[in-house]
Amino acid sequence: MMWPKVKKSILLRLRLRESWVIFFILGIIMMNYPFISIFDKPIKFSGYPLLYLYLMIGWVISIVVIVLFTKAIDHRDDQEKE
Amino acid sequence: MLSIELIIGVIFLYILLLFMVAYYADGRRELGRSIISNPFIYSLSIAIYATSWTFYGSVGKAATTGLDFLLIYLGPSLAAFSWWFVLRKIVRITKENNITSIADFISSRYGKSQWLGALVTLIALLGIIPYIALQLKAVSTTFSILATYIHQQAPALHRTIPGQQHSGIIAALVLGLFGVIFGARHLVSSERHEGLVAAIAVESMVKLLSFLAVGLFVCYSMYDGVADIFSAMTARDPKFFDQLTTFGSSKENSSLTWFTMLYLSMGAVMFLPRQFHVMVIENSSEEHIKKAMWLFPAYMFVINLFVLPMAFAGILATGGSQGADFFVLTLPLNAGHNWLALVAFLGGFSAAAGMVMLESVAISTMLLNHLVMPIIVRLEPRNWFPFLLINLKRCGIFLVVLLGYAYQQILGETYMLVNMGLISFAAAAQFGPALIGGLYWHRANKAGAISGILLGFVTWFYTLLLPSLIKSGWLHTDILERGPYGISLLKPTELFGLTGIDIWSHCIFWSILFNLGGYLVCSILLGQGETEREQVGKFVDVFELDIDRGLPETKRLSKPITIVEFVSLLSKFIGQEQAHLAISEYMGDREIDEKGMVSEFELPNLKRFIELTLAGSVGAAAAGAIVESYLSDIGSRMESVYDAFSTVRSSLEESREALYVRLKASEIMNRTLDLDIIMDDLLELLQQEFKFELVIIRLTNQDGVLTVHCFRGFAGNSIVERDWLPEIDTYIGEAFLSNKPQFVNDTRNITKPKSREIMEKERIRSFAHIPIATEGDKPLGMLSVFSQSIVGMFTQPFLRLLGSLAGQLAQAVKIEREREAKDRERKEKEQAILENARVTRDMELARQIQVSLLPSSPPDFAGFRLASRCMPAAHVGGDYFDYFQRGTSLLDLVIADVSGHSVGAALIMVETRSVLRAQAHRAEGASGILTALNKLLYDDLTRAELFISMFYATIDSAQKSLTYASAGHNQPLLVHSSSGMCEELDAEGMILGVRPEMAFEEKTISLISGDVIVLYTDGVTEVSRGDGELFGIERLATLVSSLRSQGPEEILDGILQAARNFGEENAFVDDVSVIVMKVE
Repeated sequence: MMWPKVKKSILLRLRLRESWVIFFILGIIMMNYPFISIFDKPIKFSGYPLLYLYLMIGWVISIVVIVLFTKAIDHRDDQEKE
Repeated sequence: MLSIELIIGVIFLYILLLFMVAYYADGRRELGRSIISNPFIYSLSIAIYATSWTFYGSVGKAATTGLDFLLIYLGPSLAAFSWWFVLRKIVRITKENNITSIADFISSRYGKSQWLGALVTLIALLGIIPYIALQLKAVSTTFSILATYIHQQAPALHRTIPGQQHSGIIAALVLGLFGVIFGARHLVSSERHEGLVAAIAVESMVKLLSFLAVGLFVCYSMYDGVADIFSAMTARDPKFFDQLTTFGSSKENSSLTWFTMLYLSMGAVMFLPRQFHVMVIENSSEEHIKKAMWLFPAYMFVINLFVLPMAFAGILATGGSQGADFFVLTLPLNAGHNWLALVAFLGGFSAAAGMVMLESVAISTMLLNHLVMPIIVRLEPRNWFPFLLINLKRCGIFLVVLLGYAYQQILGETYMLVNMGLISFAAAAQFGPALIGGLYWHRANKAGAISGILLGFVTWFYTLLLPSLIKSGWLHTDILERGPYGISLLKPTELFGLTGIDIWSHCIFWSILFNLGGYLVCSILLGQGETEREQVGKFVDVFELDIDRGLPETKRLSKPITIVEFVSLLSKFIGQEQAHLAISEYMGDREIDEKGMVSEFELPNLKRFIELTLAGSVGAAAAGAIVESYLSDIGSRMESVYDAFSTVRSSLEESREALYVRLKASEIMNRTLDLDIIMDDLLELLQQEFKFELVIIRLTNQDGVLTVHCFRGFAGNSIVERDWLPEIDTYIGEAFLSNKPQFVNDTRNITKPKSREIMEKERIRSFAHIPIATEGDKPLGMLSVFSQSIVGMFTQPFLRLLGSLAGQLAQAVKIEREREAKDRERKEKEQAILENARVTRDMELARQIQVSLLPSSPPDFAGFRLASRCMPAAHVGGDYFDYFQRGTSLLDLVIADVSGHSVGAALIMVETRSVLRAQAHRAEGASGILTALNKLLYDDLTRAELFISMFYATIDSAQKSLTYASAGHNQPLLVHSSSGMCEELDAEGMILGVRPEMAFEEKTISLISGDVIVLYTDGVTEVSRGDGELFGIERLATLVSSLRSQGPEEILDGILQAARNFGEENAFVDDVSVIVMKVE
C-alpha cells in the first residue's frame, strides 16, 4: 500500500538537478580519501577482503542509483506528456 | 592442437565476421532501419573504453599494485552521473552544429579557431600514440606468447614461426586497414558510421564474453570459487595479499594517486577522441544516453568481476607478478586449455582492434579537418578535391597506427600496459577545462582555451612523455636525473622541486594547474571576438535556443550570391550528388527570385547552411575559412549590419531606440493636423536619429505623379528636383507599384540603370523607398531615405520601423486629403449658390426690362375694350404681345410665342419687338408684316435654333372688322355675343424661322357688339393636371362663353384663375400671355 507513494516521492526528489549533484559529490567523497581509509584495513569477511567488498558493493549501489535517476527522468517525461 | 595457421585462420574468420556485421549494418541503415540505433548497442559501443589495457592490463595492475586498478573503471561510473546533463548538452550542440570531432567541438566553441583545432589535434595525436602503442604491444605480445607456446609444444612441426618477428607491424597494418575500411569510406564524417559502430559493439560483446569465459574457468575450474582463490592466496603469502587488498602505506598508493586516477579516468571516458566519437558523434538519439548511463557502468562492473581472482590465480600459478599483464592468456594456456587461450586471444584482439580502428579514424578526421584543411582552403577549390580528401583521410589512419607502432618499438618493454595508457589519459585530461568550461561559462574565450591547452600540453609533454622516452633509453638520461643544463628545479619528474609524489599525480598537478590557470586568467583578462560571441550562444545556451531563435541578423553579404554558385562550391568538397541533395533539402519551400537568388535577408542563413554542411566533412573552422575565402574571391564578404539603433540589441523584439523613434513619431502626428509641419518634423526626426544625408517625402498628385512634397538634407540635386511617374524601371516606381519597400544596401550592386546613374552622380551608398500607405490601401506617396556614408543600413527590423512610420504618415496624409476634399466641396457649393443668386438677380432685372417692353396697359381704342397680361414662367420668357395704333380707326394686335423660355427666347422676343415696331408702321397688312418679319428674323432664328409663332390682327373700328394672319399660333377664340358660340380664328401659315420665304393667308371677319376675342399663348391651354389631362381649348371656350357678358378685365382674370386652379401647383409652368378684346 505504501510503496507506490514512497516510490513516487523518491522519484519526485530524484528529478531535481540538485539531487544529481549531491549524489555525484557523495560518490566522489565515498571513493576518496579520507573516507575510503575507513575500509582500508586488512580485514576479511568470509574470505573477501573488506576494501574489495566495499568497492564492489558500492559500485553496484551507484549503478542502482543511476537506474533510479533515469527512471525519474522517464517519470518526468511521462508527466509532461500527460 | 593449436597452430599458427589456425590462429591466423581464426583471426581471419573473425575479421570476416566483423565485416559482415558492418556491411549488414550499413545496408540496414540505407534501408532506414538502423540496427545500431538502440541504447544497448550505444552502451556497448561506449564500452570501447575497455581496451586491451582492460583485457590484459587490469590483471597485470591488480597483480602488482592491487585494488587501484579499479579506479580506472570507478571514475567513468561516477562520471556517468553527469551524463544526462553534460553529455546530452554536448550531443545536442554537436548535432546542431554538424561537429565532427572533439577538436572541432573545442575549436567551434571558441570562435571556430583554426589554431585551436590544430592544437587539439596535435595533442590528441601525440597523446594517443602511447595508447595505440599499448594495443599494438598487447596484440603482438600475445601473438608471440601463443606462437612461442606452439613452438615449444611441437618444435619439430614449426621450425620457423612465420611473421613472429614482424607481428607488431603486421598487427599495425591489419588494424589500420580495418580503420580505413570501416571509417573512411565516405568523406562526410558527421554522418554516423553505422557499420563501424556495429563492429565495435560486436567486439565489445566478444571481449566481455571471452574475458568472462577465462574468469569463470580460472575461478570455477582451476579453483573452487573466488573465495577459494582468496584463501589460497592468503595461505601462500598473507603479507602480499594484504598489500594488494589494501592501500598499505606505500607511496604509490597515496591518497593523491588515488584522486589522480579517479580524475584521469573520469576525464578520459569523455575526452579521449574515440570516446567522444562513439558517445557524441555516433549517438543517434539523446534518449539512448539514459540507458547508457547505467548500462555502461554495469558493463565495467561485470568485466572487472574476475580481475582480482585471476591476478591471484596468476601469482599462485607463476609464483610472482612477473608477466602479470598476460595472465589472462597464460593461465588457460598453462592449464592446457588451448582453445580457451585462443578465445582469450580473440578477446584481447577484439579489444585492441576496436580501439585502434576507432581512435585512428577519429584522429585522422581531426588531422584532415584541422591540419590539412587549413592548407587546402587556401587553394582554389577543384573538382578532384573530394578524391584527394578521402585519400588523405585514409593516409591519416595509417599514420596514426604507424606512429603508435614506432613508439612501441622505441619504448619496448619499459612500461606496463596500464602505465602507457595513463600517459594518454593525462593528455586527454588537458581538454577538460576548455571543454567543460566552454559548456557552461559564457566568458571563456579563445585566448584562454589556447593558452590553457597549450600550457597543459607542454607541461604534459615535459613531465610525462619526455620521461617515458628517456626511460626507454632513447634519449640521454641526464635531463631526467639532473635536470636540463643541470638545473635541478626543472627536472621533468620533480618540477620546481615538487618531490615525493608519483609521476602521474606530478604531471596532472602541474599540467592542470597551468592549464586551468592560463584558461581562467586569459578568459578573464581578454575579451571575445565577434564569431566567438556568436558561438558561445550556440554552445552554452543550446537548450535555451529552442525557445528564442528569432534573433535579428547582424551580418549581411556585401555582394549577393546565387544558389548555383554556392552549390558548385559545395560540390567541390563533398561531391556533386551530396551537394545537390543538401541544397534541395535546404531550399524546401523557400522563395527564390528569377535570378536564382534568395532574398537579401535569407543570404546569411544560406551561408550558414553551406558552412554547416561543409563542417560536416571538413570541420567548422575549415568550413568557415572555405566559405570566407570563396566569398572574398568573388568580391563579397560578410559585413556588419550597420546598427541604426546604435545600442546592442537585446533578445527583445525591438530596441529601446526603435521604440523611442516610434514614440516620437506618434507624438509628431498627434501634435498638429498640419501635414506640412508633420512631414517636416518627421523628416527631421529621421535625419537626426539615423544620420541620413537626405530624406524626402513625395506625394502623388492628381495625375498620379510622385511629386516632392518635402525634404531634408543636401539640396539642389537631381534627386530632389525630380518628380516620378511611377514606373517599374526605377526603385521608387517599383516600390510604388508593388506597394512594398524597396531598398538597396549597397549601390554598387544596383541593377536598374536609371537609378544607378543618379546614385552615382549623388554618391549615394544606400537608400530605401518606403510606400506611404495605410494597411491594404494604395500608396499615397513615398518616403525615401538616402545615405552617402553607410552601406548595409537596411535590416528587416529597421525597414519595419520605417514602414510603420510611413504607415503613420499615411494616416495623416489621408486625413489631410479628406479634409481638403471636404473644403473644396463646400467652396464649390457656396460658389454655386452665389452664382445662382447673381443669375436670379439678373434674371429678375431682365424680367423687369422685358415686362417694361410689353405695353403696361392696353390703349384706349374707341368701340373696343381691351385687357392684356403676360406672366413669364421663368424670370424672362418668350411670350410677347403688343398694340400698334394707326390713325384713329386702326389698331394692330400682335401676340407671339418664341419657343422655349430661355434668355435666348427673351432676346429673340426683344428683337422681334424691335423689328415688328419698325415694320408695323408700313401698312402692308397682317400677312405682309408676317412675311417681312419672317424674312428679317429667319437668319437669327436659325442661328438660335428658335421659332416664333405669331398671330397678327388689325382691328378696324370703322368697319367693325378684324383682319388677321397667323404664323402657326394658337388659334384665338371668337365668342359671339348673342349665341355664345365659339369660333376659332384660323388662317394658313407656318411658324416663323422655318423657311426664309413664306406666304401667310389673310382673313377678315366682321364683328358685332358684345363679341369677345381671346388671344392667348399655349401656356394657357397646356396647363396640365396630375393625370396628364390638359386645360385645353374646349374648356377655355366654355369658360369664355360663360363669361362673355362681363368686361374684358374680368374675363381675363377668370381665364387666368381657372387655368391656374386647373394645374397641380396652382401656378403656371409655362409663360402665359392673354389678350382679351370686347367689342362695344
